[in-house]
Amino acid sequence: MDLKTLLANEYVFLDGGMGTMLGLAPGELPERLNLTQPERVAAVHKAYAQAGSQIIYANTFGANPLKLAGTGVDAAESIKAAIKLAKQAVGEQALVALDIGPTGQLMPPAGQMTFEAAYDSFRVMCEAGKDAGADLIVIETMSDLLETKAALLAAKESTDLPVFVTMTFTENGRTFTGCPISAAAITLEGLGACAIGINCSLGPDEILPMMQELSKWTSLPLIAKPNAGLPDPVTSEYHLTADDFAAYMPQFAACGVQIFGGCCGTTPDFIRATRKALENTSRGERVLQKHRAICSGTKTVLLDMPRIIGERINPTGKKRMKQALLDHDFDYLRGEAISQTDAGADILDVNVGTPGIDEAAILPQAVQAIMEVTDLPLQLDSSSVEALEAALRIYPGKPIINSVNGKEESLKEVLPLVKHYGAAIVGLTLDENGIPQTAQERFEIGKRILERAQALGIPKGDVFLDCLTLTASTGESGPVETLKAVRAVREELGLQTVLGVSNISFGLPNRPLINRNFLCMAMQNGLTLPIMNPMAEGMTDTVRAFRMLAGFDPNCENFIEAYRDAGAAPAASQAQQSKGDLTLEGAVIHGLRQDAARLTEEALKDHAALDVVNEMLIPALDAVGEDYEKGKVFLPQLIQAATAAQSAFGVIKQSMASQGGADKGKIVIATVQGDVHDIGKNIVRLLLENYGYDVIDLGKDVPPQKIVDAAIENKVKLVGLSALMTTTVGAMEETIRLLNEQYPECKTVVGGAVLTADYAQQIGADCYAKDAKASVDYAKTVYGE
Amino acid sequence: MRPSDLDKDEILMLMGTPELDAGLSQMLDKCTQELCKAVQPRTIYRVLPVEHSEHGVSIGGLALEGKDIALHLTGCEKAVLMAATLSSAVDALIRRAQVTDMTKALMYDAAAGAAIERVCGDIEKEIKTKYVYPYYTARFSAGYGDFPITQQADLIRMLDASRKIGLTVTAAQTLLPLKSVTAVIGLSHEPVKDARRFGCGRSCDECPYKDDCKIRK
Repeated sequence: MDLKTLLANEYVFLDGGMGTMLGLAPGELPERLNLTQPERVAAVHKAYAQAGSQIIYANTFGANPLKLAGTGVDAAESIKAAIKLAKQAVGEQALVALDIGPTGQLMPPAGQMTFEAAYDSFRVMCEAGKDAGADLIVIETMSDLLETKAALLAAKESTDLPVFVTMTFTENGRTFTGCPISAAAITLEGLGACAIGINCSLGPDEILPMMQELSKWTSLPLIAKPNAGLPDPVTSEYHLTADDFAAYMPQFAACGVQIFGGCCGTTPDFIRATRKALENTSRGERVLQKHRAICSGTKTVLLDMPRIIGERINPTGKKRMKQALLDHDFDYLRGEAISQTDAGADILDVNVGTPGIDEAAILPQAVQAIMEVTDLPLQLDSSSVEALEAALRIYPGKPIINSVNGKEESLKEVLPLVKHYGAAIVGLTLDENGIPQTAQERFEIGKRILERAQALGIPKGDVFLDCLTLTASTGESGPVETLKAVRAVREELGLQTVLGVSNISFGLPNRPLINRNFLCMAMQNGLTLPIMNPMAEGMTDTVRAFRMLAGFDPNCENFIEAYRDAGAAPAASQAQQSKGDLTLEGAVIHGLRQDAARLTEEALKDHAALDVVNEMLIPALDAVGEDYEKGKVFLPQLIQAATAAQSAFGVIKQSMASQGGADKGKIVIATVQGDVHDIGKNIVRLLLENYGYDVIDLGKDVPPQKIVDAAIENKVKLVGLSALMTTTVGAMEETIRLLNEQYPECKTVVGGAVLTADYAQQIGADCYAKDAKASVDYAKTVYGE
Repeated sequence: MRPSDLDKDEILMLMGTPELDAGLSQMLDKCTQELCKAVQPRTIYRVLPVEHSEHGVSIGGLALEGKDIALHLTGCEKAVLMAATLSSAVDALIRRAQVTDMTKALMYDAAAGAAIERVCGDIEKEIKTKYVYPYYTARFSAGYGDFPITQQADLIRMLDASRKIGLTVTAAQTLLPLKSVTAVIGLSHEPVKDARRFGCGRSCDECPYKDDCKIRK
């Protein structure tokens, strides 16, 4: 028997719960039993095979090296024993699957486990499973799409075995980490899963509607493996009987489910009852979602109407962005990501290509930083294949790759990546001979790119074509040819179309006017994915109005939602501006961000940047700081003033991007290894930056040596460390010890909930800061002010 | 969850401020609203038998380390082991605000503190309705007294909390998502003497945190 033969049947039957069948004592590790009491595990497999299970999950769910660390059980050994005993137990009656569960750790942005750590642990499992002769791999009970991707890639890259993937959803149709059913489906199908579905989670009643949703988003065989209802807190028993459970299964079959089993609380009787319940039924027709989609780990964007691709995260022609990338200042990128998200972007383009940057190292870091603050799917934009692949690996979801073109070399290098990682691809209609003048020639190149993609098995709908916007000033036929090509691609090939809109107006006056009009004309000719600045005046507005007028916005709902308050807004901003007597100092003290930024711009007209900092911003901050110490104002007011000052600094940095900062000195700060609470450290950073220090923020969970290296490399005089847990103060102590050893002239200031002045002294810190203000005071003494 | 479910004074206390001016107060109300929208409370608990021995106390076969937890559960027949989380959407909200507006981040963080307290309070109420005992202890968490925080992973495993409610624990024993709690509540037929020592029954005399407690007035 093989899987292909099995899947030719109307239904395939899996097994049910393992944990309850094993009758584990408290603290007993199921994966240890593979080595110590194989007969106990084999008995469960036999019972399922006798009940009619055709695929048996070996007892390897938690046999992950990360999970078994410290238990004395070797993952690979346990897996080999588990597969061997399962094969012996079921013989020819059933196939044996290597079962892979989650690591139990969260990945970024929610947690700290790196993609590589997860991938490596899954690879150990897959290789052991393959060596022991598993017939297939099942990845189950997954919550995090990125972790699931790590497991699926490990399986595909280290074995040739077919892979089933099932994830666990909550009653709101998302996983614990917020992954919607649609995103799971399109990502896992793209990555080459053989069948996908839902397991664990809840009982069949709750899972049924989710399965109906899932069936729309994939053409792969569907798997259902629900729990036996809900558990009782006292007895831990589940509330559904085998017959209750099985009674739901014909409804699952009706929405197209082919592969059936049970999860927590189910037994061989459930499998028997399920088989019986499905005896005289057949699978329902699958009705697929009409439009293609892309997604992040938490959001799906359906390509059913014009969608905005935000272009701001790209250093080309942007000094401030270039500087941020050179400084590894990912907060600047995060800020741009948030602004574009708020301005109405649907997708964000991410390009970090600038001289002096190792794109393959920086692009994945940038992607990770951006995913921390936005749900939007990303378009990975690079001419470096290495950078693209590095980012594709750690991207949770189905991204767009920007771009391939008609050159042979590009097609050969980029398209296999698109296929392997299940991405969508933008094809530029140019080739070895450059950009053709006519629409017809561009169309032909586009068609060729499509054919080559399809030949590799990339679905047609995942190929988007960019017919290239040429600057209007270079020839009057340019814009028309571009629009003609867009129309032809849309009408004749039915593909998504991409254009970098603002190229059109390069070198001309009143660019915003040209951009808006060209955007509108292009959409009317079939442009579906404009790459544009969503914050530029009127651009997002034009897309919204177009969607509404072109019939993509039933009842004008989204349009009204976006502009409901539009009438009121100008009055409010006028009211702010009418505060004629407001000074920059006053704006900072009262925490007025917009005013602080505006007044800084004004001040910079007559004053040097350093004077604005030293004579206006810092005295204002000092005044607030004093009030804070006297108990006249409290933390929220202090932070609000600091935030206003920060917006003032933003303006100053913008104006000084080419001349370097107004820095008083560099300070390295970090939340120590193991610790992920970083709000306190971020408040300290905000205040330090306010006082003109160049803060190198290493983030959270930072290894001791990395902090020391950064301190030495930047020749800082002061390192600030934060720890919030008793369990991480050790890492703080270790960091200070290493610093004293390798860089003794550097001072340390420490803070955090669990620290006291005594404790700080005990671990060798030079200063204990009871709050953020105290850190600034100490910095002033170190840097001699 | 609705903003009216949360105690505004508690939020202010968590923000380290006794009061706010009108502008900030309005901002806090808005933040509290958004926080409530993001909250997806998930909870799990098990009712387990308590066993005392000369080595200390165990619940459902899991030995809990330290004298304080043993003292806490003195005389208890059963104990509820519970875990609650506001879910990762709350962490995301706070994380985003830290990039754009630290004041909001502080407000979200404080409101989340009040929200998780509320969720725990609701479980306690449910337990008291469903499992009627004459006496209950206060919640007692790993990290209180000499009940070591390093047992966090055992508690999570005992509840299968990562699978059931998406609550995980890092190698440094931090719960993730961040706004999460695990705790033990004793159920007893005898009056519980020691239950209010920690975890705040607002009786401060014996509490080891009385010197730097923010709640203490």
